[in-house]
Amino acid sequence: MLLTQSLVNGILLGGLYACIAVGFSLIWGVMNLINLAHGSFVLLGAYVTATINQTLGLDPFLTIPISGGVLFGIGYVIQRGLINLVIARSVFSTLVFTFGLNMLLVNLLLVAFTADLRGIIVPYAGIVWQVGTVRIPLTRVAVFASAVVLTALLASFTNRTRLGAAIKATSFDVDAARLVGIDVDHIYAVTFAVGAAMAGAAGSLIAVNLVFSPVLGDYYTMKAFVVVVLGGLGSIPGALVGGLVLGITDNLASVVLDPGYRDAVSFALLLLVLVLSPRGLFGKPFYAEIKA
Amino acid sequence: MLQQRCNFLGPAGSAGFAFATLALLVCGGTPAAADDVIRFGAAVSLTGPLSTEAKQMKDGYDFYVKQINERGGMQIGGKKYKVEIVYYDDASNPETAAKLTEKLFSEDKVNFLLGPYGSGPTLTASTVAEKHEVPMVVAHAASTAIYSRGYKYIFGTLTLIDEYFGSIIDMASKIQPKPQSVAIIAENALFPQAAAEAGAKRAEEVGIKVVYNEKYPTGIKDMSSNLVAVRERNPDILMSAGYTADMLLLVRQMHEMGVKPKLLAFALGPSLPTWVPTLKEQAEGTVEPIQWAPNMKWKDQLFGWTAQDYADLYKKEFGYVPDYHPPQSTAALEVFQVALAKAGSFDPKKVRDAIAETDLMTAYGPIRFDSRGANTAKGMAVMQIQDGKPVVVYPPDSANGKLLYPLPN
Repeated sequence: MLLTQSLVNGILLGGLYACIAVGFSLIWGVMNLINLAHGSFVLLGAYVTATINQTLGLDPFLTIPISGGVLFGIGYVIQRGLINLVIARSVFSTLVFTFGLNMLLVNLLLVAFTADLRGIIVPYAGIVWQVGTVRIPLTRVAVFASAVVLTALLASFTNRTRLGAAIKATSFDVDAARLVGIDVDHIYAVTFAVGAAMAGAAGSLIAVNLVFSPVLGDYYTMKAFVVVVLGGLGSIPGALVGGLVLGITDNLASVVLDPGYRDAVSFALLLLVLVLSPRGLFGKPFYAEIKA
Repeated sequence: MLQQRCNFLGPAGSAGFAFATLALLVCGGTPAAADDVIRFGAAVSLTGPLSTEAKQMKDGYDFYVKQINERGGMQIGGKKYKVEIVYYDDASNPETAAKLTEKLFSEDKVNFLLGPYGSGPTLTASTVAEKHEVPMVVAHAASTAIYSRGYKYIFGTLTLIDEYFGSIIDMASKIQPKPQSVAIIAENALFPQAAAEAGAKRAEEVGIKVVYNEKYPTGIKDMSSNLVAVRERNPDILMSAGYTADMLLLVRQMHEMGVKPKLLAFALGPSLPTWVPTLKEQAEGTVEPIQWAPNMKWKDQLFGWTAQDYADLYKKEFGYVPDYHPPQSTAALEVFQVALAKAGSFDPKKVRDAIAETDLMTAYGPIRFDSRGANTAKGMAVMQIQDGKPVVVYPPDSANGKLLYPLPN
């Protein structure tokens, strides 16, 4: 019974993890850029939602397009204006750059919003469905559903639009993409912006279920990292499955073993996947072409 | 060729160098004797997870500095000394706090030390103070561990951790009908675990059964498993201790998982400015033991303030109503003030001995140190959020409201 509750909680949490990770995966898979500021983008989205909710009283789920849009804009400008300067160099440069960007964003958020913890309690937060002895809160289901919908939207964007096709093409072979007339700078900026937008949208969901503060962003970057390695780079179904697996193992480990082992289990799982299937569960070999 | 280059100083250069060094040594001297300023040093969490609370701690120190300097400064051995505090940011990190305390002593050469925020940073910083035999008065670290090492130079003005959950249990044991069971959830860190242990012990002493006592890992994002287990045991009281983010999460998930205790207490949480705005109705009825509230019946021996006077003056100065953090800080400096006046000098050993004999009433409460350096003269009060506002509900002679029990559901 406790196990069933944990399983349900794990699935619901896993959907959220997937949403957080999918943008990170896209950026990494297409541009070979490990965005250490991803957690801060998530927080930015959460703050946008919290601010709108506080001033206009708008339901947090309705603010998702806004937080997504704001982060899209910020992401595009950051990539086109700043990251593009170092992207042609080594992976290490981009790591250092995004690390610095993260520090900048965290401190800007601290100045703007202080370290006070925030969360949003929606008026319908008390609605809980009871199936047997398992309790399923409405807000958690709503967050899960939104996360899955957003992930599906991203999938259809990359698979069915011209822009999506251009992104995929660029990830296969940058030079060939240039040869067929794709504006790689623009595509990279759009990719980063889309990844940031997904992070922002995930941030709106975080605001509903959890509490946040500028110093808590690295947690989400870490989770995104693990989900992406588990699920495979650049693969959206991979991010979804990876997220669910992580969510479920986290919760079950807390219950079956000791809550203290939760992280140990996550990372043990990570190591196992890396040893058995280094590309992750769904990873494809030609993504993340290594640039010298 | 190499030897010639290494000898670049030459005889004249070496003499000059030696002279300069000698001059520096002579002019360095003892800062306190040279000018009319007494300098305290403190590592403060200006950034990091503890920064919100630490800011209030720092404001409390600054409040004292303003008040005493307006009156000419501390009276030590026939002269008045203006008070200055040197702050460094320890980023809520214990190792950094220790390093900064070392820096304050060896580089900045402060006269005396004030404690950092929190038991983690204080545990390490106090070791440095003890090593250098410099008195440190701690105002914001309640772990018994800090005062149980046989240190001679460390003193704390606040009530220790044993009393945090202890006062909740004491209050509960006087309720009719008496609660039968208690569940404890605490973060796996120094302060929360100390609170949990002391609380469990006190519960057993008064005959309230501990039905659940579990740790959760730092940074947890989902407490539903713990809460479902608690729900199964249906305790009358639920007590929890840990980082504020976790406590906020616990309240939200408690409602989701259907945990309905009759009394809900937190070692730290409801008194913070962010609690009620974030939790709204879910904050109703939450309880916290507090070191101090403006309606306590204390009157300051040095400045003549009552607790309410302090709160009013403070609000005028800093723009917000103080919780217990600021007066706790102010009290630490008052301890130094009295001890320095008594010792009549800056000698660390003399001052240390004077501090040990402290018997002082402040707006924060009475201060008397036991042999460990802990203040055992003051007890804790308990507050409850009622209608979004904190109300002191225990002990009866300091209460300005009645405890809402059981929580309505």
